[in-house]
Order: sequence, then C-alpha cells, then structure tokens
Amino acid sequence: MTNPTPRAWWKTGVGLVLTGLMLFPVYWMINVSFTRDQDMRASPPHLIPTNGTLDGYRVVLDQQLPYLGTSFLVGLGTVLLTVALAAPAGFALAKLRPPGGRALSFVLLIAQMIPGIIMAMGFYAIFLNLGVLNTLPGLILADTTLAVPFGVLIFTAFMSGLPDELLQAAVVDGAGRLRTFWSVVLPVSRNSIVTVSLFAFLWSWSDFIFASTLAGGGDHQPITLGIYHYIGNNNQQWNAIMATAVVASIPAAVLLVLAQRYVSMGVTAGAVKD
Amino acid sequence: MTGLSRRRRLAAVAVLALAAAAGGACSSSSDQPADGGAYLVWDPYPQFADDSEWVALLKKCGTSAGVTVKRTGYDTTDLTNKALLAAQQGNSPDVLIVDNPVISTLAEAGALTTTDDNKLDVSAMAANLLGAGQRDGKTYGVPIGANTLALYYNKDVLTAAGVDPAGIRDWASLNSALGKVEAKGKKGITFSAIGTEEGSFQFLPWFWGSGAQLTSLDSPQAVSALTLWTDWLKQGHAPNSVINNTQTTSWQEFATGDYAFAENGTWQLANAEKLGFPYGTIAIPASAGGPAPAPTGGEFVSIPVQRSTGRYATSQKLVTCLTSADNLLATDTTLSYVAPVAAVQERQASTDPKLKVWVEAVRAAKGRTGDNLGTKYPKISEALWTAVQAALSGGKSPGEALAAAQAAATNK
Amino acid sequence: MVPPTATSTAVPGPGEAATAAPPGSPPSRARRPSRWLAWGFLAPVTLYLATFYAYPLYRNVELSLREYTVRSFVQGGAPFAGLDNYRTVLTDQAFGSTLTHTLIFTAASLAFQFGIGMALALFFHQHFPLSRTLRALILVPWLLPLIVSASTWTWLLNSDSGLVNAALGVLGVDPVNWLTSPGWSITSVIIANIWIGIPFNLVILHSGLQSIPAEVYEASALDGATGWQRFWSITFPLLRPVSAITLLLGLIYTLKVFDIIWIMTKGGPTNSSATLATWSYRLGFGNLLPEFGPGAAVGNLLIVLALIAGLGYIRIERRQQLR
Repeated sequence: MTNPTPRAWWKTGVGLVLTGLMLFPVYWMINVSFTRDQDMRASPPHLIPTNGTLDGYRVVLDQQLPYLGTSFLVGLGTVLLTVALAAPAGFALAKLRPPGGRALSFVLLIAQMIPGIIMAMGFYAIFLNLGVLNTLPGLILADTTLAVPFGVLIFTAFMSGLPDELLQAAVVDGAGRLRTFWSVVLPVSRNSIVTVSLFAFLWSWSDFIFASTLAGGGDHQPITLGIYHYIGNNNQQWNAIMATAVVASIPAAVLLVLAQRYVSMGVTAGAVKD
Repeated sequence: MTGLSRRRRLAAVAVLALAAAAGGACSSSSDQPADGGAYLVWDPYPQFADDSEWVALLKKCGTSAGVTVKRTGYDTTDLTNKALLAAQQGNSPDVLIVDNPVISTLAEAGALTTTDDNKLDVSAMAANLLGAGQRDGKTYGVPIGANTLALYYNKDVLTAAGVDPAGIRDWASLNSALGKVEAKGKKGITFSAIGTEEGSFQFLPWFWGSGAQLTSLDSPQAVSALTLWTDWLKQGHAPNSVINNTQTTSWQEFATGDYAFAENGTWQLANAEKLGFPYGTIAIPASAGGPAPAPTGGEFVSIPVQRSTGRYATSQKLVTCLTSADNLLATDTTLSYVAPVAAVQERQASTDPKLKVWVEAVRAAKGRTGDNLGTKYPKISEALWTAVQAALSGGKSPGEALAAAQAAATNK
Repeated sequence: MVPPTATSTAVPGPGEAATAAPPGSPPSRARRPSRWLAWGFLAPVTLYLATFYAYPLYRNVELSLREYTVRSFVQGGAPFAGLDNYRTVLTDQAFGSTLTHTLIFTAASLAFQFGIGMALALFFHQHFPLSRTLRALILVPWLLPLIVSASTWTWLLNSDSGLVNAALGVLGVDPVNWLTSPGWSITSVIIANIWIGIPFNLVILHSGLQSIPAEVYEASALDGATGWQRFWSITFPLLRPVSAITLLLGLIYTLKVFDIIWIMTKGGPTNSSATLATWSYRLGFGNLLPEFGPGAAVGNLLIVLALIAGLGYIRIERRQQLR
C-alpha cells in the first residue's frame, strides 16, 4: 500500500463519524456504567458521567473474570465445531450439486425459525439423558445450532462464486474431491470462513437462553449469566450491569480488531498468490 | 405419559449412538452426579454469590441435616419456566424458592408436595402471607419473607411545598399535596405501570383501596382507581415514562430528588439509605381514607415432587432450618424483607424502628392469589395491566379499558 | 453484463451441465461418484440436524396440536386438539394487527438494514487509514448481550429523562413518547432493530465485495466507467448471490426477533408493538400461567411465513440459474 493521500484522510474522518454514530448507544452504556444511582434518570441526562462512580466496576472486577474465561472457551469451541460442520456442507451444496441438496438447504432455512426457547427445551431433555447438562461441551453443542444453518448457507453462497475452472484444474491434476476441498477450496474461502467464525463467536458470546437453560446450574457459566448477579428479583443494579457489558466487550472487541487485521492481510496475500 | 417418555428415551439412545459414532465428541455419562447425596436448592437470588451469607446459611442448614447442598440462583422470570421444565423431565430440585404467585401455578401443575406429604410445620406463619401458598385447603409452601408497597416521600420537597405527610390520609389529600408540590416546580409521583405482573402489583393498592374486587374489574370503584392514575398523567402529576417503568426505573427517578413521592417496596430500604436527601414512608391511602390493602410480595420455599419420596424427610429438615426464627431474621435482613412470623416481626421492628411502618403494612397486606383465586389470578392480572396501559397511553378511557379487561378475564 | 453471468446467459439450459463436467471426460462417469461424495460432505451436518433439530421441531408441532395446560405439560396426557389452537389464534382479535406489525417491522427493518449495511460496506471497502479497525469496531454492538443493548435503547428513548428527547428539546421539538404511545412504539423498536442488524449486513456484504476480483474493476476503469455506473453494472450483479442470502437470512432473523421488543416495550402499550414472535412468547412463557398450545401455534405460523419466503427465494435462484 502507498502512503495515504489527503483524500484518504478525509475518508477516515467520515469513517470516524459513521462509526461514532453507530457506536453511540455503546457510549451511552459506558456512560451509565459510571453513573451514580441518583443521576441515572436525571433530566436532562448527563452527557458525561459527572460525579462518576467506580462502584459498578469494583463489583464486576471482583466477580466476573471467571465468567469471561468460560465465554471465550465456549466461543472458540462453537467456532471450530460450526466451521467443521458447515464448510464441507457448503462446498457440497455449492459445487457438487447432490440430489436432494435443495431440500436440505430448505430444511436449514426452516430450522432457524424454531424459537430459541423451544430449542432450549428440546436440548434440556436430550442433554439430561446424555448427562451433558451443565457442562461446557453441552453448551458448545447447543450454541453451535445458532450458527450451523447460517454457516452452511453462507458457505454455499460464497463457494458458488468460485470459478469452476479452479476446481477442474485440481481434478485434472489428479486430486480427489477431498483434497480439492482441503487444499484448493478452503484456502480461497478464507473470507467466508472468517465471516462464519465471526458470527458463530458473536452469537455464542451473547447467547442467554441456552446458557440459562443448559448451563445455569453448572460450575462454569458464561458472562451473560454473570450479568444476572445484578438483576435481582426486585431490583437491578444498572451501573454494574453496564459495567459487566463493558468489561465483557473490551477483550472481545480487541480480538475482533486483531482478527480483521489478520484477515485482511491474509486476503491480500492470497490474492497476490493467485 | 409413558409413551412420551419412552419416545424421549428412544431419542436419547439414538442421540447417544450418534454421538458415539461421531467419534465421541462429548465424553458423556462421566458427569453423572458423583455427589449423589447432594441436595439441590434453586432460588431466585442470583445477586447472592457463593461467598454470600445466604449461601453460607444454605450450607449450614445442609450440614446440620447431614447432607451437602448444591445451590443455583436463577433469574426470577426464568425460574418459573425452568421449574416447569425440570418437573416435566423428573429433574426437579429438592428445595425450590419462588415468587409467591408462582406457587399456585406449580401446584396446579402437580409439581409441588403439600404439607401433608412433606410434614412441614407452617403454624407459626402469618395467615395473610401463607394464603398465597394455599389452594383448596392444602398448603404448598412456606413464605421465607414478605414485602409490600408503600409511598416513599422526599422530605425536602414536601417541606418546601408546605405539605405535611401525616396529613395524607385519602386520595383527595394526596391529590392536593401533588398540586402543591407541582406549584413549587417539582414533580409529583412516580410508579411502575409496565405491561407485566409488576404493573398489576403496583396498581393493586389503588384498585383495592377504591373498594374494587379482582372478580369484577369493571366496577365503578375500579374505574375510579384507574381514573386517578390516568388523571395524574394528564395533569402532569406523574411522568409519562411510568407506562414503561419497572420498579427499578421508577426508583431511579425518585432518586434524582425531583419527585415528591414514589410507590415502591420494602426491598428498597437499603438503597433508600443511600439517597442524597432525607426520606420517609407512609402507607398508600385508600380512596375514602385509611391505609389501602397492598399486595404481598416475597418468595416461598417449597419442596417439589421427587421420584424417590425418601428425600422429603431431609428436604423438610432443610426448609425447617431455613425458616427457623433466627435464620428468618438473618435472611430477611439481607433481603430487606419483613419476616412472615409475628415473633420475628417484633424483633425486626425493635432492632430497626424504620421497619415498624413496613411490619404494619405487611400485616395489612393481601395475597394476590388468595381468596382462592389461584390460577385464575394470572389471567385477571394480565387483563388488568393491559387495561392500565390502554388507559394511561390514551388508547381507551378507563371505563372502556376495564370493561374490555373484565371481558378478557372471564372469557378465556 | 459481466463475464461469469454472461457465459451462462450465452449457453442456456443444458449448457450448465457441460460446464460442470470437465471437457473430454464422459459425463456419466464423472458425475456419479461426485454425487455420492457430495453426501459424504453433507453427512456430518445432516446427522447434526437430525439429532438436534428434529426433536424441538417435532415438539413445537406437537405442542400446537394438543390442548396443554400446565398440568398436562408436566404430567403428560394432554388431549389431542387438532387445529383448535390455530383456530383460537386466527380468530383472536389481536391476530390482524399483530400480523400487520410483523410485516411492517420486517419490511422496514430489512430495507434499512440492508441499505445502510450496503452503503457502509461500500464505504469501508475503500482503503483509507483505520478503515479496517473502524469496520471491526462497528461490530461491537454484536458483542453485547441483548438485554444490555435493548435496555440502552430504552434508556435513550425514555419519555422524560431520555437523551433523544433532550436533544429534540434543544432543537425546539416537542418531546415524543417513543415507547409509551401506541403511535410511536413500533417505530422505536424498528429503529433499535435496524441498529442491531446493520453490522450483520455490513460484514456479509463486505466479505462479498472482497471476493470480487480486482481485475474486474481494473478492466472497467479502463473503459472509463464512473463509480455509480461501476456499482450498478459490476458490483451489484456480482454481489447478487451474497445479497440474496443476506436478505433471506435477514428476513428469517427479523421475523424471529422477540427479545428486543420484549425488553423495550413488552409488545405494548396495548399490543401496539406486538409481533407474532412476541405474541408467541407472551402466550407460552411471558405469563404466570403459560398457554403452550396457542403459543406454539403462533410460532408455527411464523415458520409458515418463513417457508413462503424460502420458497420464493429458491424460485428466484432457480430462475437465475436457468437463464
């Protein structure tokens, strides 16, 4: 890349404004996390936390760090399982045109319409009998259902855009379908893999209903359940709730930014190689 | 039932086979409770961490009953579904603590044991509180503590407006107080009229205080109660946000110091000490004067039905321990609740004179599912909060809204 | 039109098969093993679907066809009720308005999410300092548990102490009862839902843009096409499969949304922001005395709506492939 021109910096300015607009509610959440109870409903509202308090954070840092670790593990497990299940399926549906493939895509589409709470009830019954209730593998299995149909459909959409010549070249070279998939299709699909991983991670990170139904009684609970420490049956400690959300988002946001950098570099590198 | 569960077992076997075929993705069955002797307790107090006094008390009661206790705190709205689901799957906890109106739902589902089965002694409990756990002469649980509603007031605001809180004894004097406060540029009253059980809970003192009955939502008295609220919004005595306020939001509004009154509960006492201004509490006035009956809130301890009935004896020991006088005092102090036993109430009032008002309020309070309404209450309550929302948001007049509510409550 | 589509338009219908099989090798031998292999690739996901979706789906249908009470939910033995639950729901006076809200909510959310997402994707597709970092940051709303993001919106839109009304006040506009007036509540939840959906559209469309080879643009730059022309004649057609799937998934996810609305307004005041999804939740789980049967019936009606949308999608997709 060349040195940025003044025009490029102007675009950065616009980009900053757009991002700022999109993230304003997030700013508001940060603002509330520092606000004392008596200022929470001040009218007009305080734009910055004057007379701010760190109470919210004091409580959260004491209690919430183990939950973050669990959320990371569950997120990573969900990403791996989702990609492992969805990528081959997407390839098959996009390029191998199996009989009944269209019906399968259709089932995948409909599967996503089952309300989460019904899914959770189903899992509860299955997991209870399997003995994986309140375990991390159980929660990973459940969270994966949030992303697998999405993953297959996204992989199908992206992989159908791959030029047929690329695959034929591999076949002519004598590669089997499996090798073609592994060493030709997967490397050029980095983009869609990242997209699917990203959403699999985000969905498992913010999932509440599975966590509550399937891991609520376990020793390892994700951060969405940690928040419920501050939602009592009569009262909610909003600064602590918001502080938890802030503490939970920072490491994950850093991860997102790093992943984006890595990916963009990977994509450009791949393009040069082609 | 057997057909269903057999099918479920078949499904589980199929799943197990698939999981094994898939390469043992999950090493199952290793997780079978090694602590088979542990007694499970579910409560709606997720705010209490494992190092809290509440959990320490549970462990202590376990030790004295000779068992280990495994406790899980759930979000309160989530706990009802979770309890039903667990009962369906035969996986209920040994001791379940739930919000009091849920007891009649779980009892209807056949998920709870009665005191005949579990031999719990409930004779010390105040009758008006125990009522929420009774249906057709059977008792399904013990109250662990009670709360109710009253009016908190901001002393500074009332003094500035020249209002004596002791003089507020009926709706007319409350209305004139609100007018005086507003003349001084302050705001009148905040409450919660959200479209959930919370909204009905907050409306009930006014509803009952008008002389209305839950069996007849469209009576003239009921209309007068809803008109009172609607007029407050129209005249600016109450903010428009009450339509969507939870009780916490309403409390935050009061905490700004701009409001003269807030309708809120016993549980706010600890937070009230943190307010930046002096406060006081008065009973919610009835239309014609005197304190209005407020609804009772608070949780019940129950013993769900188990496959092995031998566990009840130990569960009974656990519950008896949790609801013994000293432990009730400790628990209700942390929850900022009023104890359900008269003797303990006296001790609470003598240690903390501020609690005296609340003890009296709880004694005058009324259970929502009482009067043998039981599982009819949820339908009535939904109709009621819908009517409140319709009238406050200006969709319908109070009369029309309540007529529709009565139709909906009796129709379904 | 553009190269890849151009070839398939030039050789209609059967030409497609010819391109799929390598030239020279007899089609029959090349195709059969690949068909079996295809199911090899699909086996894990099929197994997974059968294991984890079949039972909940069966359960949702079963719940809607029986007359469940809390008692029979726990103890079993609910009598078969045929289509009674559906009849109850369809004749409910709330059905018409709820369906209308669902359609408005879905259409408005989709249009704005997709439009804004596409605009942002195009903007951030350009190379400028910090473009990648900012694009990643826009995803942050997705990291927040819904209870937090939806509550934040409730906070901002509060009638009395909300920032939005305070800002309107500065501009001299009267406060709006965003969440508490029947006229505005649906708009408010749509705004919040658009905000939540933009990152999803942005990410997928952006990766779609990245998979368009740079050479295509270089060729058109030589032709002297302007930015707008380039978008309509190159970017948009090449992005069509990705756009279609984004819209379809967006549709499904929007039909399903209930938690945002539930947290912000509970579907009220007086059902003015209730959709089929919140209605289903209210019936089945939002009450002290759950009505599982009608709740599941409403849920299944939603599935039917999604089915119709899915069929439409497949029809369009097939027509494009045949062209």
